[in-house]
Amino acid sequence: MIRLENVYKSFGSLEVLKNINLTIEKGEVVCIIGPSGSGKSTLLRSLNHLERITSGKLYIDNELVDERANDRDIHKFSPKRVSEICSELGMVFQRFNLFPHMTVLENVMLAPRKVRNLTKKEAEEAALELVAKVGLTDKKDEYPSRLSGGQQQRVAIARALAMEPKIMLFDEPTSALDPELVIEVLDVMKALASEGMTMLVVTHEMGFAREVADRVVFMDKGEIVEIDSPENIFNNPSQNRTREFLSRIL
Amino acid sequence: MDDRMVRVIGILIDSFIPLLKAGVMFTVPLTIISFILGLIVAFTVAIIRVTNFKPLNGIVKFYVWIVRGTPLLVQLFIIFYGLPSIGIILSALVSAIIGFTLSVGAYGSEIIRAAILSVPKGQWEAAHALGLSKSQTLLYIILPQAIKVAIPPIANSFISLVKDTSLAAAVTFSDLFQVAQQITARTYEPLWLYMEAAFIYLIFCSVLTMIQSKLEVRFMKSGYSHD
Ligand SMILES: Nc1ncnc2c1ncn2[C@@H]1O[C@H](COP(=O)(O)OP(=O)(O)OP(=O)(O)O)[C@@H](O)[C@H]1O
Ligand SMILES: [Mg+2]
Repeated sequence: MIRLENVYKSFGSLEVLKNINLTIEKGEVVCIIGPSGSGKSTLLRSLNHLERITSGKLYIDNELVDERANDRDIHKFSPKRVSEICSELGMVFQRFNLFPHMTVLENVMLAPRKVRNLTKKEAEEAALELVAKVGLTDKKDEYPSRLSGGQQQRVAIARALAMEPKIMLFDEPTSALDPELVIEVLDVMKALASEGMTMLVVTHEMGFAREVADRVVFMDKGEIVEIDSPENIFNNPSQNRTREFLSRIL
Repeated sequence: MDDRMVRVIGILIDSFIPLLKAGVMFTVPLTIISFILGLIVAFTVAIIRVTNFKPLNGIVKFYVWIVRGTPLLVQLFIIFYGLPSIGIILSALVSAIIGFTLSVGAYGSEIIRAAILSVPKGQWEAAHALGLSKSQTLLYIILPQAIKVAIPPIANSFISLVKDTSLAAAVTFSDLFQVAQQITARTYEPLWLYMEAAFIYLIFCSVLTMIQSKLEVRFMKSGYSHD
C-alpha cells in the first residue's frame, strides 16, 4: 500500500531521513516510535508532499507519488496530481488544524465538495455519518473553539475520512490532549483499525502501539533502527538503541 | 456681545452649510471612491505578495516601497502639477483619486498581507492534506480568517483617509478644506473658520467610528471566535 525506497531528506545540512526503506501492506497498522527529532513527522509529511524528499522514491498503491534526486524532481507532479495523491491519504495532525470559521459539519464537508465535487446534499449525508461515527452528532453545528481537544481531534479524523482515503496518517494525534481526553481519540482510532483501515501512526502511546499495531517501527536520528511486531519490540528488541529508548520512556 | 463676536458668529453660521455641502459633495465621495479602488489595489497586491507571483511580486514591492516612503502631499503634487509637463493632464479630482487610491492600496496591502500571514501555517497544511488547491485554500480557508483580522485596521485607515483627503485642497480640489480656505480668504477669520472645518471633519469621523464599532460588535458576535 505504501512503499518508501531509499528515501533521504535533509533540511540544509541537517540529515533528517537517511536511507529509509519501508513497506506497509493493505490493512496494516504500523506505529512509528522514536525520540524527538528522529524524523517521524518528516517521514509522514513527505508522503503527501508537505515536505519534499531530497532523494528516493515513494509509492502508494504501487503508483509512484514522488521521485527525487539531489532535491530535484525526477518526475514532475502537477498540482492536480498532488491533490489526487493527497486525497488517497487522510492526515491527522497533532494540533488538529480544524478550520475555525467553519462548524463541525462544514469542516467535514468542505473537501468532499470542493475536491471530490460532491453535491451539498451528498456531502452532508456523508459528513453526518462520519460525525456520528466519531460520536459528535450533537456537536455538528458547533464551531471548533467550543469543543474540547479530544472532540476537535475526532472532528479532524472525520474530516480526513470524508475524502475516503485509502490510508490514514496520524502524527502524534493525542500528544496535545489532556490525559483524560486521550482515550476517546484512541478509541476512534482502534475502531478504524478494526475496520481494516491501513494506518501509519506516529505515537508516544506505547499502550496503543502494543495493542493495535501489526508492526512497530523504531526510528532514531533519521534511521529506521528496527521494525518488528509489538511483542518483539517491547519485550525483546534486537537493537540496543531500541532498548535504551524504551527504558527511558517506559 | 461685541461687534466682532456677532460678526464671527454670523460668518460661522453662513459658512456652515457651504462647508458641510463641500464635505458631503466632495470630501465624502472622494474618500469613498478612493477607498474602494484602494482596497481593490490593496487586495490584489497582497495576494501577489503572499503567493510570490513572479514577476509581478517585484513590481508591487517597488510600488509599496515608493508610496510608503514618500509624503502623500508630494505624490499629489507630482500627479497634478508634475505630470502635465510630460503631457499627462489630469483634473484635480482624478489626481486626488489616483493619489489616495495608490496610498490606500499600498498601506492596505500591508494590512491584508499581515492578516493573511497571521493565519497559522497548520491551516495551509490541513487544506493541502485534504487535496485543496492553493487558490481554494486562499478562498475558503485563509481569506475568511484573514479578513476578520484585517477589518479593524482597515476601518481605521478609512477614517484616516477622511482626514487625509484635506490634502486634496492643495491640488485645487474644492473639498471641505478648500472651501474653508476660500471663505477665510474673504473674511479673514482663519481661527474660527478652520475650527469650524475641523468640527465638520470631527463629525464625519465620529459618525464613522460609531458605525465601525457597531459593525465590529456585529461581526464579532456572528460565527466563531478565535481560541
Ligand atoms: N521545516 C524545517 N526546517 C528545518 N528543519 C526542520 C524542519 N522540519 C523539521 N526539521 C528538523 O528535522 C528534524 C526531524 O524533525 P521531525 O519533526 O521529523 O521529528 P519528529 O521525529 O517528528 O520529532 P517530534 O517527536 O519532536 O515530533 C528535527 O531536528 C527538526 O528540527
Ligand atoms: Mg513530530
